Amino acid sequence: MLASRAFSLVGKRALSTSICLRAHGHAGVVKAEDFSLPAYVDRRDLPLPEVAFVKDLSAQQKALKEKEKASWTALSVDEKVELYRIKFNETYAEMNKGTNEWKTVLGGVLFFLGLTGLILIWQKRFMYGPVPHTFSDEWVAAQTKRMLDMRMNPVEGISSQWDYEKNEWKK
Amino acid sequence: LARSVQHTAVRQAHRKYEPDFHDKYGNLVLLGGAAVFSVVWGYALTQIGIEWGFSPVGRVTPKEWRE
Repeated sequence: MLASRAFSLVGKRALSTSICLRAHGHAGVVKAEDFSLPAYVDRRDLPLPEVAFVKDLSAQQKALKEKEKASWTALSVDEKVELYRIKFNETYAEMNKGTNEWKTVLGGVLFFLGLTGLILIWQKRFMYGPVPHTFSDEWVAAQTKRMLDMRMNPVEGISSQWDYEKNEWKK
Repeated sequence: LARSVQHTAVRQAHRKYEPDFHDKYGNLVLLGGAAVFSVVWGYALTQIGIEWGFSPVGRVTPKEWRE
């Protein structure tokens, strides 16, 4: 707007910033960078993006765009698809398509958890001392009988699991 | 209008997509990772003498303790 007011000598046409620059050499207006212009985006919640996907049409595509101005029944199926692909990048089906990324993620996670296990193995082998003797099989067996003999936790605990008549664990 | 063309036409003229890393190696990474995990933890949990402190119920035969 500022540019068109400044160059009213070129006419009362609405001028885009890039045309202003060309018309006047150094304009005091910077050429519009790509990122500042409306962009194309594939989004499920945006069915009609602000610009077409293909900006610079080949000669063939330009001819097709001319043909599009006439009756659409004259267009072949392939031409219709080509027009679609000029306007849009991915179809909704392509946009929504899932990937196999989860396999890589899960596989990677499991692999690194496996490496963690290696650390544990190293620790058991090289870091920890021996397990206390009270965990040996004979000690645990004697300990268990002593617990049962003194009727430890008879209501819901260990003694309630032992059959004192048959002298065995309850089934 | 352009999107409705999709229903008839794109089915036939579908763009071929180059398989990505996950398509090519996803299964391999998944199974490989699962294999490494199972082997390492299978060994760690059973073979290196970790005391898990399992309950004696149903497992231990009580032994006389009085001297």
